Amino acid sequence: MRPVLSVHEVTKKFHQVVANDRVSFDVMPGEIHCLLGENGAGKSTIAECIYGFHRPDGGTISVRSKELDLRSPSDAIRSGIGMVHQHFVLVPSMTVLENIVIGTEVATAILDMREAAERIAEICRRYNVEMDLNSRVSALTVGQQQWVEIVKALFLGAEILIMDEPTAVLTPQESRRLFAIFREMCESGMSIILISHKLDEVMQSDRVTVLRKGKKVGTVETRASSKSELTNMMVGREIDLGAPRPRGVIGSPMIELHGLCAQGDLGTPALNGMTLTVHRGEIVGIAGVAGNGQKELFETLTGVRKATDGRVVFDGKEVTNHSPRDIQKAGMGHIPDDRFSEGLVPDFDIQSNLILGAQREPAFSKMGFLRFDAIRQFARDSIEAFAIKAPSAQTACRTLSGGNAQKVIVAREFAQSTKAILANQPSRGLDIGVIEYMHGRLTDKRDENFAILIASEELDELRSLADRIVVIFKGQIVGEFRHDAVDLERIGLLMAGHTGEAAAKTSVGEA
Amino acid sequence: MGIVIEKRLTPSISWQVASILLALLASFIISALLLKSAGADLGKAGAALWDGAFGGWRATWKTLVKATPLMLTGVAAAVAFRARIWNIGAEGQLYAGAIFAYWVSLMVGSLPALFLVPLLFAAGAVGGSLYGGLAGYLRARFEVSEVLSTVMLNYIVLYFLSFMLTNPWRDPSSFFQQSPKVVDNSLLPNLMPGTKLHMGFLVALAVVVIVHLVMTRSSLGYEIRAVGLNEKAARFKGIDVKWVTMVVMLISGGIAGIAGVTEVFGVQGRLNPGISVGFGFIGIIIAVLALLNPVAIVFVAILIGGSINGGIKLQVATGVPSTLIDAIQAIILLFYLAAAVLARYKFRIVSNG
Repeated sequence: MRPVLSVHEVTKKFHQVVANDRVSFDVMPGEIHCLLGENGAGKSTIAECIYGFHRPDGGTISVRSKELDLRSPSDAIRSGIGMVHQHFVLVPSMTVLENIVIGTEVATAILDMREAAERIAEICRRYNVEMDLNSRVSALTVGQQQWVEIVKALFLGAEILIMDEPTAVLTPQESRRLFAIFREMCESGMSIILISHKLDEVMQSDRVTVLRKGKKVGTVETRASSKSELTNMMVGREIDLGAPRPRGVIGSPMIELHGLCAQGDLGTPALNGMTLTVHRGEIVGIAGVAGNGQKELFETLTGVRKATDGRVVFDGKEVTNHSPRDIQKAGMGHIPDDRFSEGLVPDFDIQSNLILGAQREPAFSKMGFLRFDAIRQFARDSIEAFAIKAPSAQTACRTLSGGNAQKVIVAREFAQSTKAILANQPSRGLDIGVIEYMHGRLTDKRDENFAILIASEELDELRSLADRIVVIFKGQIVGEFRHDAVDLERIGLLMAGHTGEAAAKTSVGEA
Repeated sequence: MGIVIEKRLTPSISWQVASILLALLASFIISALLLKSAGADLGKAGAALWDGAFGGWRATWKTLVKATPLMLTGVAAAVAFRARIWNIGAEGQLYAGAIFAYWVSLMVGSLPALFLVPLLFAAGAVGGSLYGGLAGYLRARFEVSEVLSTVMLNYIVLYFLSFMLTNPWRDPSSFFQQSPKVVDNSLLPNLMPGTKLHMGFLVALAVVVIVHLVMTRSSLGYEIRAVGLNEKAARFKGIDVKWVTMVVMLISGGIAGIAGVTEVFGVQGRLNPGISVGFGFIGIIIAVLALLNPVAIVFVAILIGGSINGGIKLQVATGVPSTLIDAIQAIILLFYLAAAVLARYKFRIVSNG
C-alpha cells in the first residue's frame, strides 16, 4: 500500500533553535498515526509544517506521492489536510453552522447556506454525531466544540486529519467516543495524525512515531510495543508515573470550605455552595473538566476572588474574603494554572520572581530597600534545590521553558508557605521528568504535614498522588473517592454531569 | 522572492541601534523638507537651531534652565508609566504645585530663605501630590480611567489659577493676568553668576537620582514595576494594586509639582498662567523617548530643552513659525516609536527555489 502522506527529512529552525531535525515518517490510508513526544520535542512544529502554517527549511512533504509546496493552511486544505488545534479557533457568539462555513465562502465566492447545512448534516449522520447547527458555540461544552472543529475539517474535505492533543479537555467517556469515531473515519479511508503525550490513547493508534528533542527516535507498530517501551523512547529512560505513592498520616482539618459561592469573570455563578475539607498531611485531588469552577475555587481560597456566600476556614481561623496578602501570611501557597500570566512577572528575572510577595519580608528587605545579597543567595539556593535550568539568576523568566517557569513558582511557594499548598493543573504541559519531580516534592510537603489541594485534568495523576479524589462539576463537589476506592469510570461520568445515582447505577451495570 | 517578517525571540542590540539611527535620519529628512517648504534656508536654520541650543556657554546654561522642569515632568511621567498608570496630568500637577507653593510663600514669606526655599519645594510637592492623588483615588476607588481624569484635571487647575489671578492674587499694577513678584527670600538661589541657572536644576537632578534608586532598589519600586509588568501576578501574590496606584499617583504628582516651584521661584519670579509651556506634556514625550529610564531622562530633557531654545532662535533667524519645532519634535517621536517596534522584528529575504 502506498502512503497517503510522506514527510521526508523535514527540518524546521526557529532562529538558532532546531525544532525539527530531518524528521521523516509515512502515514498510510486508514491509519491512526500517533506523534508522541515531550514538550518541545517538535511534534506540534512538524504538524504545523504539514498544515502549511510553517514553511520547512528543508525536506519535502508529499500527499499521494505528489510533492506539496505549502505556503499557507489553505494550500494544505486544498490538498486534503485538516487540523484541529488544541485551542479551538471558534467564534463563541456565532452559531455552529456559521462557524463551520466561516472562511469557506472565499473559495466559492457565493455561499449557499442551505446546501452547506445539508452537507454538514450528512457528515454528522455518517459519524453519528448529534449537533444542533443553529445553537451558538458559546452554549456548547468543550467536547461539543471539538466536534464542531472536526466537522469543519471534514466539511473542508479533509482526508488527512491532524488532531493536536484532542483529549486534553475531555472526560474518559468523551475520549472513548472520540476514538470510536476516529476508527470509523479510518474505515472510510481517512487517515488521522494524532498528537499526544497520553500513553493510554497513544496505545489506541496503529503506529507511533516518537520524537525527542526535534529528532525522530523511531516509528513502531503500536500492537508490537508497550507503554513502557514508548515512554522509554520518548524520555530516554524509564519512568512510571502511574505507580501509587506511599500514603501519609492524615491529621486534623486545615482547609475547610462551607457552602462556598463565587462568581466567574463574567458575573455568572462559578462556585455553587462548595463544601470540602482538606486535612493536615493529606493530598486532595479535584477531578473535573476545565471550566467547572476549579480556577474560581483556587482564587477564592487565596483571597483573589470575592466569595459571595459561604465560609473559608484556614487552620481554625476564618479567612473568608481576607486579602491575598493575609492569607499568604497565614501560610497558604498557591500555584496558579496560568504560569506566565498569574504565577510570574515574565519580564522580571528569576531572582525577582522568587521573592514576589516577599519583597517586604525582613529576609529580603531592610528599611524599605531590597537586600540584593540575600535575594541572590536565595535564588542560587532555589535554582540548585529545584534544578532550575537557566543561564543565571538574572535570566528573565519570559525565556524559560514551561517546566522551569513552574519550578520557579514552586520554589517560591514552597518557601513562602508554611501550612498548605494549592495547585491548579500543576503538571499541565510539562515533561514527564518534571512532572515526576513535582509529584515527589508535593509528596514531601504532604509528609511535612501540609494540606495539599490539587486540581488536574489527568486522572492518572490524581490517582497516583491523591489520598482522596473529589469530582467538581458546575461549581459543586459531586462525588468523593478514597484513594483505595477510586473508580475512574464513575469519576468520568460525574465529571460529565451525570448525577451520583446514575453514575453509581452505570458502574454497577457495567460491572 | 519574498520578504518574511518574523518576531525576534531576543532583541539584537546592534539592530536596535541601527533602527534608531534609521529613525533619526528619516525624521531629519522630513523635518528638513518641512523647514524648506516654510521657506527657510536649511544651513541657516541648522546653525540657528544649534546656536540657540548649545552654541556657547550662555546658550547651554539657558538650555539647562529649560531642561529643569522637563527632567521633573519626565520623571513624573516615567514613575507612573512604569506602573502602567497613564498619568497625562503632569501639566495640571505642575500648576497645582505652583499654586500651593505660591500660597505658602504668601503665608510665611517672612521666613529666612534657608527655611523658606526648602519649605516651598515641599509645598510644591504636596500640592502636586494631592492633585495627582485625586486622580489616583478616583482610579483606585471607582475605577475612573486616569487618562480621562488627569486630562480633565489639567483644565480645572488652569481655570482655577485664572480665577485666582483675576481677583485675589492679581498684581493690580500689571496689565497682564499675573501675580505680583514673589518676595526676594523665596527666590531660588542662583548657581552661576551672570546666568539664570538656579538651584532647581540641582533639585531636579537629586529627584532623578532618588527616583532611580527607589525604582530599582526599594521594595516599593519593586512593587511598582511588578504591577506595571504583570498586574495580575502582582495581585495574586498579595501586592495591593489599589494602594500602589494611589502611591504612584502621589509620587508622580509630587514630582510634577516640584517643577511648578522651579518655574515660579526660579524662572518667572511670579505666578502666571504661562509658567509652563506644555512642560507636563513634553515630559510624557521625554519619558517615552528615554524608555522610562530616569538617567536617560536627564539627557533627553536637555536635548529637548535645547531644541526648544534653538527653536526660538530659529524662528527669529529664519522667520519660520515656532510651531514648526513642535511638529518636528512630534515627527522625531513618531519615527522613534516606529523604530522601537521595528527593532522587535527581523526581515529575511527568502527565495522560493
